[in-house]
Amino acid sequence: MSQFFNQYFNFDVMREHFGEVLVGFLQNLLVFAVAAVLALALGLFLALLRQLPGKKLMPIRFLTIAYIDFFRAVPILIIILMISGGVPFLSFLPQEVRIPHWFGRPDPFWYGVAALVIVYGAFSAEVYRAGIEAVPRGQMEAARSLGMSHFQAMRHVVVPQGVTKIPAPMLNELISLLKDTTLVSVIALSESVLVSREVLSERLNSSSLTLTAIFFVIIILPLARVVDKLIARQQLKVTRGSHIEVA
Amino acid sequence: MADPVLKLRGVCKRFGALEVLKGIDLDVQKGEVVCILGPSGSGKSTLLRCVNLLEPPEEGEILLETQDICKGPGSGTGEQSWELDFVRQRVGMVFQQFNLFPHKTVLENVTMAPEKVLGRSKGEAREKGTALLERVGLGDKLAQYPERLSGGQQQRVAIARALAMEPHVMLFDEVTSALDPELVKEVLDTMRELASEGMTMLVVTHEIGFAKEVGDQVVFMDGGVIVEQGLPSEVLENPKEERTKQFLGLVLDR
Repeated sequence: MSQFFNQYFNFDVMREHFGEVLVGFLQNLLVFAVAAVLALALGLFLALLRQLPGKKLMPIRFLTIAYIDFFRAVPILIIILMISGGVPFLSFLPQEVRIPHWFGRPDPFWYGVAALVIVYGAFSAEVYRAGIEAVPRGQMEAARSLGMSHFQAMRHVVVPQGVTKIPAPMLNELISLLKDTTLVSVIALSESVLVSREVLSERLNSSSLTLTAIFFVIIILPLARVVDKLIARQQLKVTRGSHIEVA
Repeated sequence: MADPVLKLRGVCKRFGALEVLKGIDLDVQKGEVVCILGPSGSGKSTLLRCVNLLEPPEEGEILLETQDICKGPGSGTGEQSWELDFVRQRVGMVFQQFNLFPHKTVLENVTMAPEKVLGRSKGEAREKGTALLERVGLGDKLAQYPERLSGGQQQRVAIARALAMEPHVMLFDEVTSALDPELVKEVLDTMRELASEGMTMLVVTHEIGFAKEVGDQVVFMDGGVIVEQGLPSEVLENPKEERTKQFLGLVLDR
């Protein structure tokens, strides 16, 4: 038993490598922050493309659905490897895109961000879609009957109502995104998991990984509670019947 | 007689295999109130939705102020076209379920379209919106959210919202059907007043009394066709068609 504790909960190892692991974890948070903002924006854009009206725009809708389905199905790890292993050799791209070092961040950082945005853009698009489709049809019709264009109606009427229905599922996506930032370790970004693995191979002890896990738990547990609260609040709203419209 | 504001000829609408409108002819003169009656599923709501192109008809023509609004590309639902702009800036619509914007205050509901579509300044839109809401008796509810209002009040906001776009024609789609009985009168009174001011109105309703009193023309629809039309006194008190008699018997029996 003490062997078990020594392997996973060696406080000396944790203490000695606390700084490195923390710096690595901050790297995870940074990847998360950048990827989350971009993925939420891309997701909304995709969701809006998917809702475009009319027969003529069918190809755009079709392509958007294909994108969303494809990138929800492919493992992120594959995308990360394909971007980091392929983009540098696409010589038609400018140098600063092939090997990006924007804002002083190394290229694996940006390859990782790109992969996460591509995939989580697709996931969040589906969440936005659920919100948009939960807005009664009469809202769009009323806006259109007042002369608003499809885009104006989306912007001023449908989307503002749709997004109030989805904070809980969206937060769940963001929690997954935060955890998936650890996948970027495979392309040598010094985030917490990579740092911990280096400690593991140096000390033959897993406690640094435990420490990393604790960091994630500390951040994510409160978020999970927030999700519960949001769901409870939404339930209350529905049962109270604050939405008068009958579909 | 002058050209009718609205002239429908052979309007047909299908939903898949279901033929909802089977060739509707109708003339509406300026300032006229046309009440459309009929059993549910007779196509009366669809007719209104065709007039403002929420459901563009497959066949026939609809002339709004002598312009054919069914021709030309892209009059399909949701798309952008010259026809849509033309129609929606001239035709206002009020819905059975109010469809107020729940995330906006009463006043914002009324000012949104004038600001975004007509490009009115905020001040101008608010001034006019306030006046309209006072006119429908809701001057004290400007800052409220719709969910705090009764159904009758909500429907009056919806009327003010449509009027804010200065429509030439107003469409009312069973606007009192979702209301508690005691709230029906306040909405009908608002419509009465509007009619007396000379608004051209197309009213789908089950309120026979309103049709009799306010209607200049009554249209009885069944099965996607106009069965009978004429003066309220003729159609409602002296119907010629068997189906009209039957329907009126059922409605007045209540």
